[in-house]
Amino acid sequence: MAGALGGLISLPAWANGWSTETVQSTQHFLSINQADQLAELVETIIPVTDTPGAKALNVHQFVQKMVADCYDKTTQENLQKGLDSLDDLAKASFNKTFAEGDTAQRTALLTQLSKSTDTAQKDFYSLVKNLTIRGYMTSEYVMTNLTHYQFIPGHYYGCVPVKAKTASQPK
Amino acid sequence: MSYLNIDAQALNTYDAIVIGSGISGGWAAKELTGKGLRTLVLERGRDVRHVTDYPTTNMQPWEFEHRNQLKREVREANPIISKCYAFYEGTEQFFVKDAEHPYIQEKPFDWIRGYQVGGKSLMWARQTQRWSDFDFEGPARDGFAVDWPIRYADIAPWYSYVEKFAGISGNKDGLATLPDGEFLPPHEWNCVEKHFQQKVAGKYKDRHVIMGRAAHISQAKPIHFQQGRAQCQHRTICERGCPFGGYFSSNASTIPWAAKTGKMTLRPNSVVHSIIYDEKKGRATGVRVVDANTKQMTEYYARVIFLNAAALNSNLVLLNSTSHRFPNGLGNDSGVLGKYAAFHNYRAGISAEYDGNLDSTTDGRRPNSPYIPRFRNVHKQEMGFLRGYAAGFSAGRGSRSDQSGVGADLKESLLNPKLGGWYVGSHMMGETIPKESNYLALDASQKDPFGIPQLKISIAYDDNDDKMVKDYQEQLTEMFTEAGFKNIRVRDSHASPGLDIHEMGGVRMGKDPKTSMLNKWNQLHAVKNVFVTDGACMTSTSTQNPSLTYMALTARAADYAVKAMKQGLV
Repeated sequence: MAGALGGLISLPAWANGWSTETVQSTQHFLSINQADQLAELVETIIPVTDTPGAKALNVHQFVQKMVADCYDKTTQENLQKGLDSLDDLAKASFNKTFAEGDTAQRTALLTQLSKSTDTAQKDFYSLVKNLTIRGYMTSEYVMTNLTHYQFIPGHYYGCVPVKAKTASQPK
Repeated sequence: MSYLNIDAQALNTYDAIVIGSGISGGWAAKELTGKGLRTLVLERGRDVRHVTDYPTTNMQPWEFEHRNQLKREVREANPIISKCYAFYEGTEQFFVKDAEHPYIQEKPFDWIRGYQVGGKSLMWARQTQRWSDFDFEGPARDGFAVDWPIRYADIAPWYSYVEKFAGISGNKDGLATLPDGEFLPPHEWNCVEKHFQQKVAGKYKDRHVIMGRAAHISQAKPIHFQQGRAQCQHRTICERGCPFGGYFSSNASTIPWAAKTGKMTLRPNSVVHSIIYDEKKGRATGVRVVDANTKQMTEYYARVIFLNAAALNSNLVLLNSTSHRFPNGLGNDSGVLGKYAAFHNYRAGISAEYDGNLDSTTDGRRPNSPYIPRFRNVHKQEMGFLRGYAAGFSAGRGSRSDQSGVGADLKESLLNPKLGGWYVGSHMMGETIPKESNYLALDASQKDPFGIPQLKISIAYDDNDDKMVKDYQEQLTEMFTEAGFKNIRVRDSHASPGLDIHEMGGVRMGKDPKTSMLNKWNQLHAVKNVFVTDGACMTSTSTQNPSLTYMALTARAADYAVKAMKQGLV
């Protein structure tokens, strides 16, 4: 955890209310190097813009935790292999490590992964992408600041004009 | 020594014993204590107190480690309970784990249980439709079970009685198939549901789409405030336990009400082994209880016993209560104990899309949905299958975002979802026919962790159910087509029985002691001081959700029991 956070320069103000307990992984099945690659990968999928990216929201920790706790061994091994191969793919594609690539290079590589004819490679990418989206969209930061989740709506209005719509929410 | 025994016996003696604290046991506790009886309530599971024992009720989505997905080890260790729609990270604590309480599936049966104070009333889906005379008269008419010893008129005042206390929302629809009750305001419709309702009404005289009657306080009355309950807040996370008491549960309502009388002794962790029958006295005198923690057996005594262990476990307790007088289970002179078990058929569903009403949408959340009462074989037998089905129905709109991209484009797209079209869906709730071949029995050799024989469940679907599935799919397709719904897809889950969580029967009511276990007061024909008022008592299953009927039957039986005790009849 601390190692992964080391990549951050400083914690922005919005992270103050963040509960570390909810993102701590019970099983660290990824090596430090794999975990670092995962952090780069989720940040490439959902990068920092005028709002925090996936890495700052600790989505890489979430992905690791989900795969460790909820998925089978085959999936876990495929994640490890996929993360290990990321630099090789990057070197073949743009002669740098994945982390050293610029946004366009990394994006091109991910597009290539999504279309890969290698099933394991494609599964690896789709697993990480889906969990990244899930972790990001259900993070406290996004749900409270960006999608305005209502824990207690207190009502159900059956027919409201589309303009007044608030985004539908998960449980 | 005899002095000590008498002393111990006096300490363990009550006016009444209630076995189980779920939806019917809670009502038995409330009614019996309310009428002044010192009542012992036995619950096999742990205590769950309203609010304080709902650990996940105030957790935000991001506070769940796995965002409510089950951990692999939980799923793998619990293949049965993991099939239940309501079992997830936020509700794990309220469901019985597969290994804790084994049973024998002579045929595949997914037994979904909640062993704790409140039982399944904590996690139920809260639909509370009354039964009608079509339901009580059905068996006599088409001969698929024995005649019920009661009619709608017998139970109608008791429906009113429990509805007012529990808090039932609903609309007065004036339907013979689904009598109106004492309703709080109904939940709101959305435009597409309204559209469907009108289309169905326009085409069919005998088919109706109504708002479901549900155990939610849509507008709190003084009786609800007196229980410490408040209006439903539309969180739709009911199965985690509601701190507002917005829906009815034993925990929020009947159990604390019973406790306030000062007459209730609640004993959790008390697994009932059997009911004690005294041959000299010719009546039941008490129950044998295995302490779930110490495994010690203790006897408790009372003048009247209410068996509310939930349908299958009530069968188990009676089957395990053997004596010289009743070698095949308490009150089982007829030999029908454990037989004619039945359930509901939830196998089929249908979904579709609708491209109208795109200028409107919904806001907030609704813990309920519209309902289509039974329309098959209502007035006479008209189909090639017996009985019929009701259906749930709902429409909604979700948001969609393009997830194909990556980077800033993907982020932009995720945070600016587009409103999708309307989707509509329905699921069937079919009546299964009570058959002798659907039975419950005790296994001769295998015991549970408390030394009690394991229950053997032998229940399956038959041709009648398959025909009903097909008819539901055809009829709903026709109704959906009429409403202009597109991309209609029907399904048959082929799920095993049990996932409907509406298991009933085995201790059925009836007029004739030769073919039934209970009389019209839910009293064992052969042992007058034992009452069974949970799902086990059901002669037939109808299509409606059964819980409200258990509540009404329990309140009615408790009223009778106390009057009969005063007259020396029990």
